[in-house]
Amino acid sequence: MILKTINLSKSYKHKDGVVNAINNINFTANKGDFVTITGPSGSGKSTLLLSLAGLIKTTSGQIFINGFEITKAPERNVSDFRKNNIGFIMQSFALIPYLTAIENVMLPLAETSIRNKEKRYLASDLLKRVDLDNRKNHYPRELSAGQQQRVAIARALVNSPSIILADEPTGNLDPGLSSDILKLLKKFNLDEKITILMVTHSPVAAEFGNLNIKLEDGKLVTSINNNEMSN
Amino acid sequence: MNLRRLIWLEFKQHKSQLISGLLAITLGIAVIVGIRSVSVVSEKAVAVNLDNLGANILVLPQASNVDNYYSADIDAPTIPEEYVDRIVSSNLQGVDNLSPKLTRRIQIGNEKIVLTGIMPKNEISSKPMWQQSGLIGNPIIAGCTPDNSANKDNGYKDDKLQRKVIDSLSANECLLGSAVSAKLKVKEGGSLDILGQKFTVSRVINETGTVDDDRVFIHLRKAQELLNIPGQVSVIEIMGCCNAISEGLLGKLRNVLPDTRITTIGQIVSTQIQTNKMMNKVSLIFLIIITFVGGISIGNFMWANINERRKEIGMLRMIGFRKIVIYKMMLVKAFVLGIIGGIVGYILGTLAAIWMGPKLAGLPVSPILSLILISLAISVCVSMLGAIIPTYLAGKIDPFKNMQEV
Repeated sequence: MILKTINLSKSYKHKDGVVNAINNINFTANKGDFVTITGPSGSGKSTLLLSLAGLIKTTSGQIFINGFEITKAPERNVSDFRKNNIGFIMQSFALIPYLTAIENVMLPLAETSIRNKEKRYLASDLLKRVDLDNRKNHYPRELSAGQQQRVAIARALVNSPSIILADEPTGNLDPGLSSDILKLLKKFNLDEKITILMVTHSPVAAEFGNLNIKLEDGKLVTSINNNEMSN
Repeated sequence: MNLRRLIWLEFKQHKSQLISGLLAITLGIAVIVGIRSVSVVSEKAVAVNLDNLGANILVLPQASNVDNYYSADIDAPTIPEEYVDRIVSSNLQGVDNLSPKLTRRIQIGNEKIVLTGIMPKNEISSKPMWQQSGLIGNPIIAGCTPDNSANKDNGYKDDKLQRKVIDSLSANECLLGSAVSAKLKVKEGGSLDILGQKFTVSRVINETGTVDDDRVFIHLRKAQELLNIPGQVSVIEIMGCCNAISEGLLGKLRNVLPDTRITTIGQIVSTQIQTNKMMNKVSLIFLIIITFVGGISIGNFMWANINERRKEIGMLRMIGFRKIVIYKMMLVKAFVLGIIGGIVGYILGTLAAIWMGPKLAGLPVSPILSLILISLAISVCVSMLGAIIPTYLAGKIDPFKNMQEV
């Protein structure tokens, strides 16, 4: 087991009363799982992802990633934990426009003690694995949307994370490119046994996961293990 | 890729913003450096010129009348000559030459003449105009500020260094002012009867246009003997350095000689003091302006930069950059801005002073290297102050800025 949530809840105060963004969420993910999180807008998908990353404080409950309780740890420890254990892939790619592809990939290593030469080697290797070896010195504006997302995937992998949190990674891509990106993620998931948690609206994308969690009004309504279903 | 490179690449990306952000602080520093460069040279020039006017402080008895600075010693009550030693032994900075005098009105023939007993070496060294009469001897050493090296550095020559004095005026010799010479019809080499004693006129001083033209000068000891006032003088003239006077020399002298009246050529000294004060005030005003305008300008630049980079900063936080690292990035940037502003401001200000100094103030201006440290200190402080609030707010940017599309 790599990830476990216990009675996870997050509520906001609103002028109309208290809003329960997520309510009593319990689930676990094992090493190598590809978890898709689906649900309508406002169902609490992003709140769940933010909570798992330790980017927002939950109201109650616990989150354990690799045995580290993210809900209790001080902010600086959570930052360090993210730096060393979590990779992020965003819908908008979140690349820095004035950095080249390879510099963007090296970014999560900027605050580590790894030597620059090694950082460059790691980034270069990952760019090769996402088929962007010949584009490593290109700026994001010189890359297509699909290429930018592949740079983002390489960046998410450069710190050898145990878990990747992906927020609608195919939301800005056409169906053809979406499929390529999802296949790429699946490949890393299977080859590297990296756990992936992916928020998506797309039923097609959701099929790439072996575990699908569906949220409605902040509650976990179904948790389907695709492997078990196929079995 | 490390933090330094990230900051550097970000700088390169926002060059135009950087220039506009630096404009106010750079110009502010340039103005301060320009004013200071000209005013330092100007202060030294004024000080040198005023010092060259000669004696400018009078130590008089308490009861003396100082309505007229130049004739305050005539018939004044007396003070002990020992006061000269007291001043000398107090080692006050800025006291260049002491000239004790005893002055009385006397009758020579049918004419009323002013007789002044002097110590010849001291008297002549304090009277630059007398030297044109050929009263020369050994050079005197002047220690008054602006010092010799400062004068040399700025291309000035201190006239005091060139002054020469005669070493002695014998007991039966006298010097005549030009008007007295004409009035008594006595020329150089002639003789004169003063209070029953015969004196040889060793020199007639060229017309100076001062009260000295109407005086007869003999040795102080002889005057004390003839006037029967041994060990007493009516005035001690001091050639005080103008800078030292403006920095409180008169007060220090009053502490040494509390029972005397110490006065100076008020107008000259107050001009010097006012000039210094005005220049300092102008610099201070600019310092205040630059602190506000420069600080706001840098703060505005930083804030605009942070707003433009909210997603980027959010992403950095998301991938594990601590708040302190974000603070460091912003403050290093402000520090670098301050350094650039200080150096560019110093260069611009110095060039402006070198170019405009001779035109506006009629003075050659040289670069003042110590100002670069002051420029850097001001610029960095202002820049850092301006960056504090934007930096704090940058640390508060939500790390999940990139996730809000969901």
